[in-house]
Amino acid sequence: MPWAATVIRIGLGAVWVVAGALKLPDPAGAERAVRAYQLLPESLVQVMAFGLPALEVVLGLALIFGVAVRWAAVGSAALLVMFIAAVSSAWARGLQIDCGCFGGGGEVEADQTAYLSEILRDAGLLLLSAALVRWPTSRWALGSLLSAPAADDVAVDPNPHDTLVGQE
Amino acid sequence: MPQGPDQNSTGRTSGRPGKKAAAQQRIAERRAAEHAAAAAAARKRRTIISAVTAAVVVIIIIVVVIVVQTRRTSTANDAASPANTTDGAFVVGEPDAPVTVQLYEDFLCPACGQFEAANGDTLRQLVDDGTIQLQYQPVAFLNRFSPDQYSTRAMNAVAVVADEAGLDAFVKVHDELYAQQPAENTPGLSDDQLIAIAADAGATGDSVAAGIRDLRFGGWTERVTDQASKDDVSSTPTVLINGNPLTDRSPAGLTAAVQAAAKKG
Repeated sequence: MPWAATVIRIGLGAVWVVAGALKLPDPAGAERAVRAYQLLPESLVQVMAFGLPALEVVLGLALIFGVAVRWAAVGSAALLVMFIAAVSSAWARGLQIDCGCFGGGGEVEADQTAYLSEILRDAGLLLLSAALVRWPTSRWALGSLLSAPAADDVAVDPNPHDTLVGQE
Repeated sequence: MPQGPDQNSTGRTSGRPGKKAAAQQRIAERRAAEHAAAAAAARKRRTIISAVTAAVVVIIIIVVVIVVQTRRTSTANDAASPANTTDGAFVVGEPDAPVTVQLYEDFLCPACGQFEAANGDTLRQLVDDGTIQLQYQPVAFLNRFSPDQYSTRAMNAVAVVADEAGLDAFVKVHDELYAQQPAENTPGLSDDQLIAIAADAGATGDSVAAGIRDLRFGGWTERVTDQASKDDVSSTPTVLINGNPLTDRSPAGLTAAVQAAAKKG
């Protein structure tokens, strides 16, 4: 199980880093993509458009390096649920957009939306994230180094003057 | 060594040999439990501190990125607008025509190219008849499908032409750009080619060439594109007949929709 978890962890992390990094060079496009969903008020469009890719990169790096894996997996699952809901909502309303998931401005040529494949892809990633939440232990994880017991965890006698057995 | 009354030579109280050992063992056990509790509390404190620190760092990163990206996208509201345009629209036709047709299109968009090929003549006829006022509204949505920012360069080029040579020249250049439309993900028409097309349409001179090369109206293209997105235009082509989206983009569908709108008055 730990090796499978390692593969999932690093793979999922790479997907997040790429998804976030692709959105950073074209912030105007990211803004248009968020707006195209018509789900957020205009005041929150930029926060989502610019903050989400940063969060994706941070999540991805945490997964790749194996730090706070369970937290990152929970965050990953939460984001994917949000994406599935948003794409489903756009589909239900008949909007014509590209999901903008991997960069781009969300615009699509008329009649070329691909909602179902996007939802299926996100559902697959969601399953992987859920698996990581359940079985976060993996190899090559930096987090296990960072949370090793520190030296002062070893019991130190706080009362050196008390007598112990055999020292009278 | 001096010994108390009840002590033997090992220092242990005689008569109750097990009790002191038991008491000392309990003390030792309690101390060990206190160490463990203190260590656990210290570990928990460390965990909370590192979790809060990590959360704060993540929040700071996100805020910094938001600020930087906001600066990058702030389109100067005082970016120069080309003459002969109104709010990003190049308007041709009678102002009192009964039907207004708004045409949002990207010069790189193949679907727009197909629409132009199918409907260009029809639209021209409707304008000449005085049936419609046609508002061309170019946008630059598709730069990500171009290795050389063709959407923006083409949109800027027609803006320069309209600004320097008027709307007739604009229409000629617009039509020619669709006639020579490059494929997506290939290099678009070069600046030299754009300048040549502009010259053929009557927009000649160094100022035109400079405007095309230097992206004179680049800020304007960003502002207009952003505004189109705010006006709920998310796909190209988007055709609005008196404000209502056209669903059947064939020549028959276009004509029918225009006539229906004209009847409504």
